[in-house]
Amino acid sequence: MSCSSLTMLVSSKPSLDSSSPLSFRSFITPVQIPTSNPSVSSHPTSKSSSSSIHCSLRDLRTRIDSVKNTQKITEAMKLVAAAKVRRAQEAVVNARPFSETLVEVLYSINEQLQVEDVDVPLTNVRPVKKVALVVVTGDRGLCGGYNNFILKKAEARIRELKTLGLDYVVISVGKKGNSYFLRRPYIPVDKFVDGSNLPTAKEAQAIADDVFSLFVSEEVDKVELLYTKFVSLVKSNPVIHTLLPLSPKGEICDINGVCVDAAEDEFFRLTTKEGKLTVEREAIRSETIDFSPILQFEQDPVQILDALLPLYLNSQILRALQESLASELAARMTAMGNATDNASELKKNLSRVYNRQRQAKITGEILEIVAGADALV
Amino acid sequence: MTLNLCVLTPNRIVWDSEVKEIILSTNSGQIGVLPNHAPIATAVDIGILRIRLNDQWLTMALMGGFARVGNNEITVLVNDAEKSSDIDPQEAQQTLEIAEAALRKAEGKRQTIEANLALRRARTRVEAINAIS
Repeated sequence: MSCSSLTMLVSSKPSLDSSSPLSFRSFITPVQIPTSNPSVSSHPTSKSSSSSIHCSLRDLRTRIDSVKNTQKITEAMKLVAAAKVRRAQEAVVNARPFSETLVEVLYSINEQLQVEDVDVPLTNVRPVKKVALVVVTGDRGLCGGYNNFILKKAEARIRELKTLGLDYVVISVGKKGNSYFLRRPYIPVDKFVDGSNLPTAKEAQAIADDVFSLFVSEEVDKVELLYTKFVSLVKSNPVIHTLLPLSPKGEICDINGVCVDAAEDEFFRLTTKEGKLTVEREAIRSETIDFSPILQFEQDPVQILDALLPLYLNSQILRALQESLASELAARMTAMGNATDNASELKKNLSRVYNRQRQAKITGEILEIVAGADALV
Repeated sequence: MTLNLCVLTPNRIVWDSEVKEIILSTNSGQIGVLPNHAPIATAVDIGILRIRLNDQWLTMALMGGFARVGNNEITVLVNDAEKSSDIDPQEAQQTLEIAEAALRKAEGKRQTIEANLALRRARTRVEAINAIS
């Protein structure tokens, strides 16, 4: 009986090369080789769990190599993003003395101007007919849902404005937003600004100039800023802030009219807690130092406010750019971290399948040799 | 008695040390500040800030903002500030020419406003370099 089954083995050998190892495996079962049995019975289950199509050993090996390379790349991207978050955080810290002093000065000037009615072009509240939306997106992809969230929010806001019967124009910052709006010519875009690795005052100035001239020349009556607020490493919020008209007291207002006192600004800090990276937000109330009562204004107080408010506009835009950058980096860190984990799991599954196939192939070769040697004897 | 000068931009602190005297350009002309100056608050125009340290004058290009003097402490808040040593002469000249061309091409109130601002900034940068040489 064993002889006949062995000859069966030998004769069907030619079919082995062309067909998949599946037929080979099913062939083993009638011969009842105990070693390969457990692998055969467990193979179907592992195949269904990994749910991938296996071709040959060589293809599997190529696939494992490519997954390994991808894993190296995603890991590197995650570390780079983590390093950049630290730099972004430093930039925010550097920007603090400016905004603190600015808020101080705004407060004291407002106190001294309580009686007068201030009429500065930037605080003009006009009936709104046209709204400008400044949309801040990222430059590159591979950052999870970051760009998508902002663009969806922008679309939603545009729909809202349409139902209210208001005209709108978009200023797009960041390559991703630029390409999105370029593909949609039905949305009027005023200017495309390219983002950069580290937002500086110059870029904020360019956007501020644009917004300033749009508002002062009365082409638009309201300017809103859409950016992503950095909440934590895994969570970020796309928010809409009203940029212009400014309130003379220096309050930051939401579209719903919820105003936050500028002196109670929040700053975030990337620290480690129990060995894991976290973000802490501190709400700092800057002290308003009493100005010397004999402080003289060189120019008209209105002119001074005229000079202060563009500064404030600039620092607001810069803050938004910096926060957006930090959110983008955090999103990229998370996305690349997940990708790395997925890649290592995929590699493990593929290696398991590869090894089983390899062992099955070796077993088959041994059988052929034994059968061939037996036949000669 | 020396003055402590602080020049702040939204990006970073450009200058934070003691000086002997400064000359600011404001909307209503140039102001010189010596130690024990009376407290004033003034808007700063797009122009040059001259700083004297021990008989040596340094220039800085300021892009508009605000200044506050009091108690021998000067705080200048500006959109951007560049030390003349950090400005590349050729690049500044080129930026000036581009800004002039843009102003000539500008149409409409909005573009003219923007072009004017850009021109004033470029001119200040070029002046800052020329002032020392």
